[in-house]
Amino acid sequence: MTVRLAVGGVSRAFGGVYAVRDVSLTVAPGELRAIIGPNGAGKSTLFALIGGQLATHHGSVTLDGARVERLPAHRRARLGVGVVFQGARIFHGLTALENVMVGAHATTRAGFLSAALRLPAHHREERAIRERALTCLDRAGIADWAHRPAEELPLGQQRALQLARALCARPRLLLLDEPASGLRAAEREHLAGLITALRAEGLTILLVEHDVAFVMRLADRITVLDLGRVIADGSPAEIRENPRVIEAYLGPSFVRSPHGAS
Amino acid sequence: MTAGLLRPASAAGTGRAARWWLAGFTILGLALPPLLPERHLATFVLFALTATVTVGVSLLMGYAGQVSLGQAAFYAIGAYAAGLLAVHGVPSLLGLLLAPVIAAVAAVLLGAPLLRLRGHHLAFATLAVQLILLSLLAQADWAGGAIGLQGIPRLTILGYELREDLGYAYAASLVLALAVLIARNVIVSRAGRALRAAATSETAAAASGVPIGRYRLAVFALSAAMAGLAGGVYAYYLGYLSPGSFPVLLSIEFVVMAVVGGLGTITGPVAGAAVVIVLVQVLNTLATRPGMPGYAPAVLSYAVYAVVLILCVLYLPKGLVPALRRATRATAPDRRQS
Ligand SMILES: Nc1ncnc2c1ncn2[C@@H]1O[C@H](COP(=O)(O)OP(=O)(O)OP(=O)(O)O)[C@@H](O)[C@H]1O
Ligand SMILES: [Mg+2]
Repeated sequence: MTVRLAVGGVSRAFGGVYAVRDVSLTVAPGELRAIIGPNGAGKSTLFALIGGQLATHHGSVTLDGARVERLPAHRRARLGVGVVFQGARIFHGLTALENVMVGAHATTRAGFLSAALRLPAHHREERAIRERALTCLDRAGIADWAHRPAEELPLGQQRALQLARALCARPRLLLLDEPASGLRAAEREHLAGLITALRAEGLTILLVEHDVAFVMRLADRITVLDLGRVIADGSPAEIRENPRVIEAYLGPSFVRSPHGAS
Repeated sequence: MTAGLLRPASAAGTGRAARWWLAGFTILGLALPPLLPERHLATFVLFALTATVTVGVSLLMGYAGQVSLGQAAFYAIGAYAAGLLAVHGVPSLLGLLLAPVIAAVAAVLLGAPLLRLRGHHLAFATLAVQLILLSLLAQADWAGGAIGLQGIPRLTILGYELREDLGYAYAASLVLALAVLIARNVIVSRAGRALRAAATSETAAAASGVPIGRYRLAVFALSAAMAGLAGGVYAYYLGYLSPGSFPVLLSIEFVVMAVVGGLGTITGPVAGAAVVIVLVQVLNTLATRPGMPGYAPAVLSYAVYAVVLILCVLYLPKGLVPALRRATRATAPDRRQS
């Protein structure tokens, strides 16, 4: 079995307190893996260790067989790691289109010199980036906002903008940290459809989400974190019945009404 | 002060409007010098060179979110590089081309450690660099020491020697136009977008693949190159350089001009430089009137920077050009940006 992402015993502490402790998991190419757990379980921290926003204190992160835990975030982006952060980390002052065009940075080349001199290669690449960005805006359902300053977009659209930006890099591994929080029902459905489509195209996705029904519907496999450790790992059906997960996260009410989770 | 001034830049105004401004400035730069009386021609040369440096400072502050309080150091490096090369027999045009390269190399060497610093720390570090450079220059006999470097030949382009101020006015205009054009091209490009992105969220920019450190260094070098190029023209124009020609006040002047004109705009630095230079000139004329004390010119020019900066922060926090743009937009029917 080939492995897209292997996390091997990673730990990360803040001021002596572990946020992520000895976490291991492997994700196959094309898999949609959900990471769930209570607030403060270490989900976002784990993403930051994979994406390179934080340095690991122990352990390894392997992407398609290559160790990446010592690489800075921009190098991991070039290797195909795309990130949608929890909350909206968008670029203020740039239009929505420009925000997404920045997403193409990892896979394009033109530098200062070719820009300053307006070389033909620069124009060609610029056009290609723009087209690709427009496609991504469209897929994320926010094409109408293309020429608006990003900070003027409503929160839901800012979320979608982050996703469009990540897609513009054509990642091999996409990290989605609570992409559905704050979205309205229709937006949530659109997002679920988009995630399903991306998965069908073979993209490997890690999804952190508190909406358990949303997760159960989409995920191939679920890893459950609590207090920085993996407490369960399995198919949605297995996770739903796991007593440790019910105790730590899902709660007894979830067992009674499996589709009624918040 | 930096936190309030370093607002995220927008690309608005880099499109059609900026093209018109650019055309307007170019025409003005070509048509104005022959119409100016001789004594104002010197001011014009000074303006165009100062504006060139300010374009770089504005790029650095407005788009890369960094403050340099030592930009006159790169102006000096470019000037001394061109001057020394010319004095040692290097063709003056070659010297002029090498001046920005040498300034940029200096910026890369200095920037590698300096750019780890942010905000005020970077501002003070660049200020320190300039002070160190000035004291080194004052002791360097090979560069003329405190007395200065004398006998710099005039600029010769294709066998034509620029002797008159008018020639230098054109040379300075050309250098300014080049700086504005390059700044504009960079800002709307992939690299410029990455810089503007990094100025508002480093985390998200890095996650998009932007090597932020390298890019910041590149802008630092680009701004230094602009200062170096202006410095090169300055050296040939004056024919004489001394450490005293590059005081710390000059670095502050560049920052004031950039802020007054409007950070995050392409034409702002040019407008800012024009306003400040004209003001200083007018006040100088007043201060040198009979009956004024001998220290009046110096005091007044310091006062201009302080007063202009304070007024600007209070009443035009985004600078002249954005304010003008808003005013014209309010009167004209709304046009959709593209
Ligand atoms: N930069 C930081 N400095 C100090 N502590 C941190 C930092 N980032 C996270 N933590 C701590 O690490 C723990 C895990 O946080 P993390 O954000 O990874 O949780 P999470 O599972 O994403 O929670 P949520 O569901 O609320 O987003 C928390 O106790 C948090 O307070
Ligand atoms: Mg989180």
